Amino acid sequence: MNNFSRLVFVLKEGFAHLFRSKGLSTTVIVIVASTLLQLSIFLGISRVLDNALVSAKEKFEMAVFLTSAADTTDLTRIKDTLSAEPQVASVKVVTKEEALQDFRKDPDIDRMVQALGENPLTDSISVVLKKDAAGNLDELVNRLKKDPSVEEVNYGKNEWEEVSNISRTVRWMGLFLGGFVFLTALFIITNTLSLSFWARKEDFILLSRMGAPTWMRWGPYLWEGVLQGILGTGLMVLILELIRHIVGMTLAQYGGLDILLHLPELDWWDLYLALAALGVILSFTGSFLALQSKWVKELK
Amino acid sequence: MMIQAFHLTKVHSSGVKVLEDAYFSAPEGSFIAILGESRTGKSTFLKMLGGEEKPTSGVLRIDHKDIHGLSASEKRQWLNEVGMIFPDLSLFPDKTVEENILFILHVKEVSTEGQKEAIRKLLSNAGLGDKIQSKPADLSSGEKRMVLALRAMIFRPRLLLVDDPFQGLDDKAVQTLLKFLFELNRTGTTVILSIQQMSFYENLKSMPSVPPIQWMKLDQGKLQPLEEAVP
Repeated sequence: MNNFSRLVFVLKEGFAHLFRSKGLSTTVIVIVASTLLQLSIFLGISRVLDNALVSAKEKFEMAVFLTSAADTTDLTRIKDTLSAEPQVASVKVVTKEEALQDFRKDPDIDRMVQALGENPLTDSISVVLKKDAAGNLDELVNRLKKDPSVEEVNYGKNEWEEVSNISRTVRWMGLFLGGFVFLTALFIITNTLSLSFWARKEDFILLSRMGAPTWMRWGPYLWEGVLQGILGTGLMVLILELIRHIVGMTLAQYGGLDILLHLPELDWWDLYLALAALGVILSFTGSFLALQSKWVKELK
Repeated sequence: MMIQAFHLTKVHSSGVKVLEDAYFSAPEGSFIAILGESRTGKSTFLKMLGGEEKPTSGVLRIDHKDIHGLSASEKRQWLNEVGMIFPDLSLFPDKTVEENILFILHVKEVSTEGQKEAIRKLLSNAGLGDKIQSKPADLSSGEKRMVLALRAMIFRPRLLLVDDPFQGLDDKAVQTLLKFLFELNRTGTTVILSIQQMSFYENLKSMPSVPPIQWMKLDQGKLQPLEEAVP
């Protein structure tokens, strides 16, 4: 029997096992689906929070104010220096005239400027930072401050750090809670499969007494686990899609709350693929662990 | 396969001695029939020969090897050449008769090419031609026993251990099974058969074209040639 024939045998037997103990197979499939559903809720919440924090970070801008003595050459030099920095996403020059025009939109400020009789503002450079720029920002700011043409650098350091900390905490909490749900599910699935294998103890004994090799005694059961994982994922995707459409439609009637379910299509497929991989890993590992039961190992 | 046993003793965990200081020798290709009443330890003895029960003491060698000292993989390899017809070995309930018989060929890693036709012929000769696609639940106990026997013989084992195979079989099925056992023995398989009914001894002695059979009796833990056991 060559390796291909062995593979075909394992695949066929695994399929047959799946339909043999329908009750227990269905239980495992439902457990896999409900675990993945819980994980997807965690992943979804972390993803939404992460997106919110990333977009919050994207809104952070640095403002570099030049001295009144700085001329166009200085402005161009500093602008070019900033554009070459890896932390910088984009750079925009705001001349003192443009800034004044902007200020004058407020009638109170407009009156104050008229009383002063001259433009008190200086040229500035508005810098949009990249979302992962937090690390080396201090070094850039110190360099800019040492430039004689730079009056002040304003970049909301404390807010930036706060958002970064929240983002980190959310990720770690998601990872911890997700890991906890995963391990709990693995425990339940392993025990359910142990029960399912115990119900077929006669087959295990028969295989052992016939002298069946390890690949033949274990292979079909591991493949059965993978199949249950795939079917569990399928069920979970079906449930999530139903939630997306039915609940989405309901939420739409309440002031556009359906936005909560509106991740881009690509994100949903990424999520489904990640959960499918998790489902297969979960049930395969569960089968493997169930096959480590003392009574199975004693049947050499 | 050649079997040699010296000073073989088996005491069950309950303290019952089922075999006491037994000597046993089966040359390659021999046919040995062990007679004994119910619960005299015939099944335990056959299970010892099949590596399923360990003797309490004594030496048991098959092809000069101590089968109870083999590693798990060596034992599996050894079992590839051993067929067993034991009453407590069942069929896979979800497989058809044909699949059950084919399954043993997968287990023994024998090519299944062309075997379906051979199984069809074998089942037809055994009077089970119309049961090829039946599940075990649809078979009578006699038919199940016959399928179990065919499953153990299809891969032409070098050693066939047969424990009380005729229970529940009608005369025709008994004759068919005996014919298969004799045919297999003629091709070189060592057959160890255990039976309860003494009448078999008389019937077989009067049957034509029966291969030479070494008769033994197992009673109260003593295994000895039948001539010595029967006064």
